Amino acid sequence: MIVEFYRPGESVLHRLDPRPKMLFLGVVLAAFFIPSAPWVLLVLTAAIAAAIVVTLGPSQLVPPLKTLWPILLLITVLTPPFHRDGVPLVRLFQVTLLTSDGLNTTLVLLLRFLGITLGFFAVVRTVALDDMVLSLRWFRLPYAACLVITITLRTIPSLASTWHNVVDAHRLRSGIPGSRRRPRIVETYLPVLTSVLIESVKGIPVLAMALESRGFGRRNARTAFAELKKGRPFVRDMLVLAAAAAALLWPIFLT
Amino acid sequence: MNEGKPAVSPAFRIASIAILAALTTVLTRVVQIPLPARGYINLGDVAIVFTAITLGPFSAALAGGLGTALADLLSGPYAFWAPISLVVHGLQGLLIGLIALVRPRNLVFQVLGGIVGMAIMAAGYLLAGVFIEGAGPALTEVPGNLIQGAAGVVLGILVSAAVIRAYPPVRQWKW
Repeated sequence: MIVEFYRPGESVLHRLDPRPKMLFLGVVLAAFFIPSAPWVLLVLTAAIAAAIVVTLGPSQLVPPLKTLWPILLLITVLTPPFHRDGVPLVRLFQVTLLTSDGLNTTLVLLLRFLGITLGFFAVVRTVALDDMVLSLRWFRLPYAACLVITITLRTIPSLASTWHNVVDAHRLRSGIPGSRRRPRIVETYLPVLTSVLIESVKGIPVLAMALESRGFGRRNARTAFAELKKGRPFVRDMLVLAAAAAALLWPIFLT
Repeated sequence: MNEGKPAVSPAFRIASIAILAALTTVLTRVVQIPLPARGYINLGDVAIVFTAITLGPFSAALAGGLGTALADLLSGPYAFWAPISLVVHGLQGLLIGLIALVRPRNLVFQVLGGIVGMAIMAAGYLLAGVFIEGAGPALTEVPGNLIQGAAGVVLGILVSAAVIRAYPPVRQWKW
């Protein structure tokens, strides 16, 4: 199981501090929901796509577009019937298929969906999950919450491995889950799920003891080995992304 | 170790949320069951229903929300659903747990909680989908979400009973 979508690299996007990047993403997301003309959203989406192409390479745009095209097609086909005001643009046998309002809303939804997806994609592709947790800590998320996220991320691979081991064990004893053309979900998955859940919950007291033995709950000063940028590089990244946000968002306030 | 005592300690709470959130992520991302008609369902809802019935509403709210949000975040193109999943599945787990807590070990209340949670989950995604994708595409996702939710309720209740029977100490871990 791939536990992280992050790909290491040396691009400009990779080198930017994760905190301003996350703030920038929040601003861009808000911008996509402010009522504005389709051309404004087109500029925003094109800027995000261009940033991905220039810094990460054109091939990086393929996976999200490959995954998203069915949804983009659904938006294109299903949005116009819900918006029938405005000037009729396409008619077939006295039936209006597309109006100016329908076209406008379809374009807004397509660009919003694509822009949000690419924005998130650019961030999760270039920020390691550990740095994301450190950034959340910097944003004043409580220590306990950050600890939960960190432990969860560390536990996912071992639980995924437990699942596969249990499936293999049951495969040796009885049929192969999912091998039938029409699998019986309850009959096939209940024994596997039960074994995996018992194995998982048995780990809870062990992990709790480990946490207590390592000092969780005491009021000692904590040490941290991982740190984000400090001082001038952080301020520089903040200023760069604030300027980028201002440059991208001014059309919204003009329209 | 006294297995009843840790239920109140902060370390035990942290451990239970982290492990159950990881379990929810694994069941959401790794396990994909093909449907007879078309498409796939995942078992993330099974983990949420199981946690809500077995370990209580707050474990379910935190583990369910975090687990599904991380699953979205790790998926890449669907990362933007992470904040929505955090809220929707968190609320789903909380409601199932609270309703099941009215009459513990009563199947009717467990099923009722599961149905309410399933409805909240489908409605939450529908509402978010209307804002992001528009009403048409959002409506097409409702049947899939309901099928996945129903499978989660059935398997979650069954597996909860099986785990409690096989590993009784888990009864004392509800909070």
